[in-house]
Amino acid sequence: MSKVDPITLGVVWGGLRSIAEEMGAALKKTAYSLAVREAEDFSVGLFDDTGRLIAQGDFSPGHLGSMPFVVKHVISEYPPEEMNPGDVIILNDSYLGSGHYPDCFCVAPIFHKNKLVAFAVNCAHHVDVGGGAPGSQAVENVNDVFQEGIRILPVKLVKCGEIQKDILKLIIGNVRVPDIVKGDLMAQANANRMGEKRLSSLIETYGLSVIKKCMDQIISRSEEAIRAAIEKIPDGSYTFTDYFDDSGRDTPPIKVHVTATVNGSDIIIDFSGSSPQTRSALNSVLNYTYAYCFFAVKCLTDPYIPQNEGCVRPIKVVAPEGSFFNPRFPTAVGGRAIVNQRLFEAVMGALSQAIPDKVITAASHWANPNFGGFNPRTGKQFVCYEIVVGGFGARSDRDGCEAMVSAFNISNIPVEVLETNYPLRIERFEIVRDSAGSGQFRGGCAIRRDVRVLEDHIQFSNLTDRHLYPPFGLFEGKPGSTGITILNPGPDEQVLHSKGCYELKSGDLVSQTLAGAGGYGDPLKRDIEAVRLDVTGEYISVEAAREKYGVVVDPATKEVDITETLNHRNRKSEPIRS
Amino acid sequence: MWKLGVDIGGTFTDLVMVDEETGELSVTKYPTTTQDPSKGFTNGIDMLFQHKGIDFEDISQIVHASTLATNTLLERKKEGDTAILTTKGFRDVLEIQRQRRYDLYDLSIQKPRPVVPRQYIKEIDERVCFDGFILKELNEVGVKASVNELLKNGVRSICVSLLHSHINPVHEKRIKDIIEEISPDVMISLSSEIAPHIGEYERTNTTAINAYIMPQVKIYLENLITGLAKKGFSRTIHIMKSNGGITTVDEMIRFPVYMIEAGPAAGALMASFYGNLIGEKDLVSFDMGGTTAKLALIEEGRPKVTNQFEADKIKLKPGSGLPLIIPALDLIEIGAGGGSIASLQMGVIAVGPESAGAEPGPACYGMGGHQPTVTDANLVLGYMNPDYFLGGRMTLDVDAAHRSIEKKIAEPLGLDVTRAAWGIHDMVNKNMAAATRIVSIERGRDPRKLPLVVFGGAGPLHGSRIARELGISRVFIPAAAGVTSAIGLHVAGLSFDFNAPHISLLGQEILKTVNRLFSQMEAKGRAMLKEAKTTGESFFLKTADMRYAGQGHQINVPLPDGNFRKDDLEQIERTFNKLYYDIFGYRDDEQSIEVVNWRLTAYSPPTKVKLNKYSNAGGRSDDAIKGTRQVFFPEIEGFLECNVYDRYKLPQGFVIQGPAVVEEKESTTLILPKDRGHVDEYCNLMIETLA
Repeated sequence: MSKVDPITLGVVWGGLRSIAEEMGAALKKTAYSLAVREAEDFSVGLFDDTGRLIAQGDFSPGHLGSMPFVVKHVISEYPPEEMNPGDVIILNDSYLGSGHYPDCFCVAPIFHKNKLVAFAVNCAHHVDVGGGAPGSQAVENVNDVFQEGIRILPVKLVKCGEIQKDILKLIIGNVRVPDIVKGDLMAQANANRMGEKRLSSLIETYGLSVIKKCMDQIISRSEEAIRAAIEKIPDGSYTFTDYFDDSGRDTPPIKVHVTATVNGSDIIIDFSGSSPQTRSALNSVLNYTYAYCFFAVKCLTDPYIPQNEGCVRPIKVVAPEGSFFNPRFPTAVGGRAIVNQRLFEAVMGALSQAIPDKVITAASHWANPNFGGFNPRTGKQFVCYEIVVGGFGARSDRDGCEAMVSAFNISNIPVEVLETNYPLRIERFEIVRDSAGSGQFRGGCAIRRDVRVLEDHIQFSNLTDRHLYPPFGLFEGKPGSTGITILNPGPDEQVLHSKGCYELKSGDLVSQTLAGAGGYGDPLKRDIEAVRLDVTGEYISVEAAREKYGVVVDPATKEVDITETLNHRNRKSEPIRS
Repeated sequence: MWKLGVDIGGTFTDLVMVDEETGELSVTKYPTTTQDPSKGFTNGIDMLFQHKGIDFEDISQIVHASTLATNTLLERKKEGDTAILTTKGFRDVLEIQRQRRYDLYDLSIQKPRPVVPRQYIKEIDERVCFDGFILKELNEVGVKASVNELLKNGVRSICVSLLHSHINPVHEKRIKDIIEEISPDVMISLSSEIAPHIGEYERTNTTAINAYIMPQVKIYLENLITGLAKKGFSRTIHIMKSNGGITTVDEMIRFPVYMIEAGPAAGALMASFYGNLIGEKDLVSFDMGGTTAKLALIEEGRPKVTNQFEADKIKLKPGSGLPLIIPALDLIEIGAGGGSIASLQMGVIAVGPESAGAEPGPACYGMGGHQPTVTDANLVLGYMNPDYFLGGRMTLDVDAAHRSIEKKIAEPLGLDVTRAAWGIHDMVNKNMAAATRIVSIERGRDPRKLPLVVFGGAGPLHGSRIARELGISRVFIPAAAGVTSAIGLHVAGLSFDFNAPHISLLGQEILKTVNRLFSQMEAKGRAMLKEAKTTGESFFLKTADMRYAGQGHQINVPLPDGNFRKDDLEQIERTFNKLYYDIFGYRDDEQSIEVVNWRLTAYSPPTKVKLNKYSNAGGRSDDAIKGTRQVFFPEIEGFLECNVYDRYKLPQGFVIQGPAVVEEKESTTLILPKDRGHVDEYCNLMIETLA
């Protein structure tokens, strides 16, 4: 087979990527839910007719890693002769690729001269797909997938351009917010249509055989590039262990045990030795486990290779069937969103032994609680999908950023927009002082977000972690503070469980404080001026400057006493003799 | 009488004078005096006056555009001047931002740094609800204590941004009164005045930047006025805004954030001016310089305006900068210019966004640059004349260009140098075509029907290829395309923008309220136009930000003139549905429509500018031929001997048959094989492309 010249290849490659970006822009602009339009919890990709990922928009890594599984299942369910131009196939089954029901995938076949040539695919997080609790992400007392909401196996939502009203009726009859789910599904179908149009015109310009050759080369070149980057990681087996607090009230911690084995240009990430699957909805289906391992390896090798099938070929993921990272059907998995960050961090921890300069420490653990109930302003049910995100992990040469997502990638919902839409009031949204793990480079701080409930009978399902096991630091960097969820802070306050479900009444206040990110390197080596700036910016207290960093700052003037600091640092760094 | 336009850019200060009676133009350029920009301003004026034999007596009005606001923001040297007062519990809005990573996989990512550090942000005990209800009264004692403390620490400018103030500004206004009582000299920016829109981060950031740049802008403009007054000029001075309108000095001192990126706006206005000249009200404006290319869509003779703008982006990546909610021209900027560096990424050529800049510049400048750039590729392909760069002020080193491309691109790819150079030229064109497609399609336009108006130093070399790429059949290249963007200053009309946030379903129940809101805005606009001493007619353009009920993103829809009646509603609905379909490819006639914002622009057009007719009407085309040179065209996979024309000697009405090269001081135009370039009476070129 003759090769495409490098100039054409470059142009086609850029064209394919810009199609994916345009699909994402269209989806965001036409969606109804705050989750899609404000939080950007969605993804888009282009696949070839055999189900290989060719190009994607840079959106949520979990969706993107899961998409290839979805497309493969759709292809096995619908042979090409059963697909027609204008079809859109929808599915949300966790085990067929989605990972949890709220993520609905829409797959549209693209035809050229009556021949199936590619697929436009997108995924959006729907704020509710039914089940035991608003938001469909409850962890506690959910023991199988049939309690988690409507399960959609691959069906045609759109046939030859016509929306199948029966299917749509069946779906929106099973969710708490039918208008919003319908609006988002229409936006998803529309985004695929845009991808189809643009890819067709690219094929018109260059011809199908050139485009196909380009797709092959895009994949093989990406594989070569990622292999070259993996080659640079020293060969060996690297092990790391971390824990989830638990999977609900009165449950044991979940062990996360990973062995990353690098052999030449191959890497195997093996979760053998981790806990078995739980009896709650906190489990990670294998495709989701895959997705975040791919993501972590990509970050550590070559962040700028455009993502496609080639990038994942050198990476193998192993998790024993029936384990936390590969549960058996019909184990419940609705709470898996908070696993993403831990998969990423486990890989960071393991590979920190091989490539210490490239990894980051554990970040502030995010929270994804759901509030739901009746909204008197609209006369309808509401589901508010809250996103609380804290500081980024510390790096080998710089602090962790404040208030930025780690691992996955979504935006917060503006306080003013949230309050306008739901009977909730945010009373505090701030950085927590002295919460960051100390280190030569410190982690990002924790975030506190207080939500006042303004109606009775509001269902609240909490979804977070690191209330017991703090985010780890690396290379003598200290862990961050632990997180806590408190109901009605004050003399009668009640500590809520990180995965508990509660009914709240009007006037209740849920105060969510996340964990702080871990530090990197010895805190006593931190630049004195950086410590002083942290004190003036009130990220750390004068006491913490002295205790954690050995820097003596005058509380009144905020000036550093250099002599005292050097003495203090010397004393602190002396080995303690027993 | 003359109207004088002064555009202070990063490198040059452009001065353009127009005779108010005849429309005659007079242009001069002076290097920008970075230390004290007003010096370049006055020096340039002196030169121009001397040349024309006039003085300030003959100047009726000055229109001024400056990069001062942008530079103050980018340099960040003024921390400690500015503070923020905000609602209790929300001190960290500026630092928390929207929390998304603009770079998905890069773990060394850094967030944009807020303009005001945390210790200068004070919380005020008060709370307004989403519907304007006051949940907690303002703690005035707390306000006083905070303001006093800030003033003690040397703060000169205060941003006040409270939750939901776009719905109910009463607490912000009261805080302003309190600050003024304490110290009348403190500069105050209220978020309910600067950016009255929902979304606390974007509103606070816009207001904080306004407060941050205000001290600099105020001093500059006040000095300028005093300086000019000393020289005997006390007539009107107007300042260019980011939305392509002009405004009074007083308004600019209060809203300096509206000045950010006003310079590039002049370029887009210039394109609309030429569009008018050739009878094209809709067009794509394309400005390619050394570092970036800027694209804008001109509709109905005016560039499109947007309300979202991002300043100080990292490598032009969306989401990496500071978001501003200000009316700004909808310019798309991409990292594609003459200095853009070509490199190999996984065996394919990538161009930009890194630029070799002016120093060290492209390899062919011979100033120490070794990276191959777009300019180096253009030189190797024979598109540029090494001996006539900047009119011959600089000689380019062809061998150096050749070597850099050979080493970094051709050898690793196994291509010959010419093919590699073509690959660079082609890739940068493709990048720009893709961006143009987004500009026009996202805004619901089919670019194939629009002419491309091309300018900037590098634009005329790339315009025709981009046009072919997009299926555009006409490329217009104004005379002196490299320098005339300052003409835009004379095309800008006085304009004042108002908006009234008011969320409601579109229906006859709201007619009364809406008419009241518009008449209030119109009264304000009329008063401001009067104050600005407008001479021309006044227009009031009404628009609304609309969406299907329940959606989160709005589109801006033009509204009919006059008081609204019941019948107008249907038309508004139709316009919205059509616009929505044009942009997104579907519509939902059953869904009710929601209006979020009503907007009004009070506008007064400027005096008409007329171009000088060209004097070479009777010239001979043979005289215009400077010589021939070998130029590469991929159509024949090789070099072709082409005529090289002197732009200044082209006779009116002459048709240049492509392939050909047209040289002028600041730029070179490439006419592709089978294309035809028509020379009009102003020496502009209209190229019919083979699209």
